[in-house]
Amino acid sequence: MNIIVFIKQVPDTDKVKIDPETGTMIREGFEATINTFDLHALELAVRIKEKTESKVTTISMGPPNTEDILRQSIALGADEAILLTDRFFAGADTLATSVALARAIENIDFDLIIAGERATDGETGQVGPEVGVLLGIPVVSYVSKLVEIDKNSIVVERSVEDGIERWQVELPALIAVTRAVSEPRLPTLSGKKKAMKSSVKKLSASVLGLKPEEIGLRGSPTRVSKVFNVKVTRNVQMYEGENLQEGINRVVEILRGYVK
Amino acid sequence: MKYSKVIEEIIQKLIEIVGEENVKTEKDYLEKYSKDETSEVKPHLPEVVVFATKTEQVAKIIKLANEKLIPVTPRGAGTGLSGGAVPVYGGIVLSLEKMNQILEFNPEDLAVVVQPGVITGEIQKLAEEHGLYYAGDPASSESSSIGGNIAENAGGTRVIKYGPTSFHVLALEVVTPTGEIVRYGGKMLKNVMGYDMVRLMVGSEGTLGIVTKITLRLVPKPKYLSTLLVPFDSLENSINSVPKVLSTLGFLPSSIEFMDKESVKMASKFLNEEIPNMESPAHLIVEIEAQDKDSLAKSYMKLGDEMMKNGAVEVYIADNRHHREKIWKFRKAIAEGIIAFRPTHCMEDVSVPISKMPQIVLEAEKIARNNGIEVLSFGHVGDGNMHVTFLKPPEMSSDSWKERLENSLVELYKLTAKLGGSITGEHGVGVKRRRFLKIFMTEEEIEFMRKIKKALDPNMILNPGKIF
Ligand SMILES: Cc1cc2nc3c(=O)[nH]c(=O)nc-3n(C[C@H](O)[C@H](O)[C@H](O)COP(=O)(O)OP(=O)(O)OC[C@H]3O[C@@H](n4cnc5c(N)ncnc54)[C@H](O)[C@@H]3O)c2cc1C
Ligand SMILES: Cc1cc2nc3c(=O)[nH]c(=O)nc-3n(C[C@H](O)[C@H](O)[C@H](O)COP(=O)(O)OP(=O)(O)OC[C@H]3O[C@@H](n4cnc5c(N)ncnc54)[C@H](O)[C@@H]3O)c2cc1C
Repeated sequence: MNIIVFIKQVPDTDKVKIDPETGTMIREGFEATINTFDLHALELAVRIKEKTESKVTTISMGPPNTEDILRQSIALGADEAILLTDRFFAGADTLATSVALARAIENIDFDLIIAGERATDGETGQVGPEVGVLLGIPVVSYVSKLVEIDKNSIVVERSVEDGIERWQVELPALIAVTRAVSEPRLPTLSGKKKAMKSSVKKLSASVLGLKPEEIGLRGSPTRVSKVFNVKVTRNVQMYEGENLQEGINRVVEILRGYVK
Repeated sequence: MKYSKVIEEIIQKLIEIVGEENVKTEKDYLEKYSKDETSEVKPHLPEVVVFATKTEQVAKIIKLANEKLIPVTPRGAGTGLSGGAVPVYGGIVLSLEKMNQILEFNPEDLAVVVQPGVITGEIQKLAEEHGLYYAGDPASSESSSIGGNIAENAGGTRVIKYGPTSFHVLALEVVTPTGEIVRYGGKMLKNVMGYDMVRLMVGSEGTLGIVTKITLRLVPKPKYLSTLLVPFDSLENSINSVPKVLSTLGFLPSSIEFMDKESVKMASKFLNEEIPNMESPAHLIVEIEAQDKDSLAKSYMKLGDEMMKNGAVEVYIADNRHHREKIWKFRKAIAEGIIAFRPTHCMEDVSVPISKMPQIVLEAEKIARNNGIEVLSFGHVGDGNMHVTFLKPPEMSSDSWKERLENSLVELYKLTAKLGGSITGEHGVGVKRRRFLKIFMTEEEIEFMRKIKKALDPNMILNPGKIF
C-alpha cells in the first residue's frame, strides 16, 4: 500500500501571536518544526506500514529549508520525502496550497492520504479536505481511530460533538486525523542516520505543469480583511464560607440546565 | 534551649515593624506554615507568621527576636524536602514570599539582582528572553524561591555542566542572626577579599543568616538542544557507561539523568503514557547543547554511538520541542507519581562517586527487600546524586513502616558513608536527616560547624533544630 502524509513546517510555539498592526503572524524568534498534528498522522502511517508492508511518502510545500523537517519525517519512519518549493508557490492560501499538493499527488501511485486535522499556525483545517475534493476521492475528517484497513477499504472512527461515527470508505481516500489517532514515537539513532543519508525530492511549479496564476499569491482568492485576537472574558463568581451552600445550589442548577 | 513565647506585646511590636496585614496568627496561616513538602517530617505550628517586605524589617525582627529570645524560621516557598522551613520550636515563621521583586537586570554585566522571594522560573524566563540563561534549575523551579535555592544550595538536572546554585551566586545581602545587614561579593566572578562568606551562606539552610538580596550570574543561552532517551540492558551498564562515554565525547552534556524500572513505571502510571522499552532495567536521559544544528546532530550521533557500545539497547533522539518536552515531562512525573500514589514514602538524596552509584541502587533494593518495604531510585548520574525512595507497602501498618524505614535508612546511610558519599546532595539535612549526621561526620567535625553557628548566633534564635 502507498501512503502519503502531509507535513507542514510551522513556527515552534503553542501560542501563535498576531501582530495587531499588520494582521500577520509573528514568526520571528521561533525555530521551524513539524506541525504537531502531522506527527500523529505520520505515526499512524508508519504503524500501518509496520503491519502491512507499505511505503510512506511525506510531502510538503514550503521554502527550501523545509527539507530539514522532511528529513525528520524520514527519521520517524517515512521512506521518501517530496518538497514542492518554488518562489511561485509563495503567498499561497489554502486553495493554492491544495492545488499544488493535489497536482503533485496526482503523479504518484497512492492508496491513502493522511493529513493532520489542522496546522498549528494557519489552523483552518481546510487543506486536507480541499486536496481530497480536488483529487475526487472520499474524505473523512476528525478521524480519531483507525479500526481496520485492507487493500480496498478503510474503517475509521470520527469524533464529532455528540459522539463517535464509524465510517467505511473505499480506497483511495483521504483522512484528516486528530491527535488521539496515535502517539508519535521518538526518532531513533538508526532512523536519524538513515535520514542524514537520504535525499529529499524537490519539485518546482513548472515541473508539475502549474502556471503562476494557479498557485501562490496569484492563485489565492482569499483576501484577509482583518485579523484580531479574540479577547475571552470570564465572569467569575466566588462562593466561600457561609455562601458555599448557595454556590453548590447554583452549580446544580446550571448542570440541570445542561442535562435538559 | 529555652525560648520565650510570642506574647501579645511581641505581636504588637511585629505589627509596628511590618504592618498589621503582614502579621498572621489565624489558625489557617499557622497550619499552612507548619510544614513543607517533606513527607516523614511532623508539622509544627509556629506562634506567628510574619511577612517581611524590606531588608530593614528583617533586621528589626531579628533584633527583637534576640532581645526576647524568640526562635525565627526563615521561609521561602515551602517546597523544601528536608523540613528546613518547619518551625520545630514554634516562634516566628519569617516568610520572604513578599520580597519578590527582580531589582536589576544587567545583561551588560551578565548579572541579575533579585529579592529572595522571586520564583526561580521567573529569573530563568527573564534571562532567556534576552538570550541569556540562569542555569540553576531545580525540578521545582516553577514553585521554589531563589532564596530557598540558595539556602539549600539546590541542584537539579543541569548540575553536571553548570554546577549547583552556589556556582551562580555572585553576591549576597544578608541579615545576620544578630540583626546586622551585611553585603558580600559583587557583580564579578573573581573576588578573594577575606573569607568566602557568600559560599558559607549558600547551603547554610537558613541557620547563619537571612538572605535578603541576591546577585546571580548569567551565561549565554544554548541555542539548540537535543534530549536523548536511552534504555539499557542492565542497571550497571547504564551508569558505568557515563564516565566511559564522557571521556571520549569532547564535550559535556548538560544533564544525565537516571531512572530505574520502578521509577519509569511510576511516571508512566501518573501520566498514563508509556515510553519505549518500559521493561529495560534502566533508562538514561541525556541532554546536549549546541550553537548550530549541524554540530548538534554530530554530537548526538557520537553520543548515541558511544552509548550503543556500552550497553544501550536503543537510543531515542528528541530534537524538537514536542519530543523533548515529552521526555522531561516523564522524568518530572516520577516525583509527582510518588506523591500521588504513595504518599507515605521517604525520598532520599544520597550522593556518592559516580562509579559507586550502581552499588547504591542495587544495595537499596536489597535493603528494602530485607526490610519488607518497597523502593525505587532515580537521580542525577552526572553528579553522583541518587534519590533512593523508600515506599510503604499499602497494607503495612504505620508503626511497622516506621521501624522498617528507620532500619533501612541506617543501612543505606552506613553504606553511603562507606562509599565515601554524603547523606544529602541537594535537599539539605534540615530536621529530617539531623539525627543521622553522625554516621557521616566525626564529633569534632560536627562541633567545628557548631562553633561557627554559636559564634554567629549566640542566642541560637535563627532556625534552631536544623542540621545538628
Ligand atoms: C491569519 C492568517 C492569514 C493568512 N493570510 C494569508 C494571506 O494573506 N495570503 C496567503 O496566501 N496566505 C495566508 N495565510 C496562509 C495560508 O492560508 C495557510 O497557512 C496555508 O494555506 C495552510 O493552511 P493551514 O495552515 O490552515 O493548514 P490546515 O488546513 O489547517 O492544515 C491541514 C493539513 O494540511 C497540511 N498542510 C497545510 N499546508 C501545507 C503545506 N504547505 N504543505 C503540506 N501540507 C500542508 C497540514 O500539515 C495539515 O496536515 C494566512 C494564514 C493565516 C492563519
Ligand atoms: C516536586 C519537587 C521537586 C524538587 N526538585 C528539586 C531538585 O531537583 N533539586 C533540588 O535541589 N531540590 C528540589 N526540590 C526541593 C526544594 O524545592 C528546594 O530545596 C528549594 O531550594 C526550596 O526552596 P523554597 O523556596 O521552597 O524553600 P523553603 O522550603 O521555604 O525553605 C528551605 C530552607 O531554606 C531556608 N530559607 C528560605 N528562604 C531563605 C532566605 N531568604 N534566607 C535564608 N534562608 C532561607 C528555610 O529556612 C529552609 O531551611 C524539589 C521539591 C519538590 C517539591
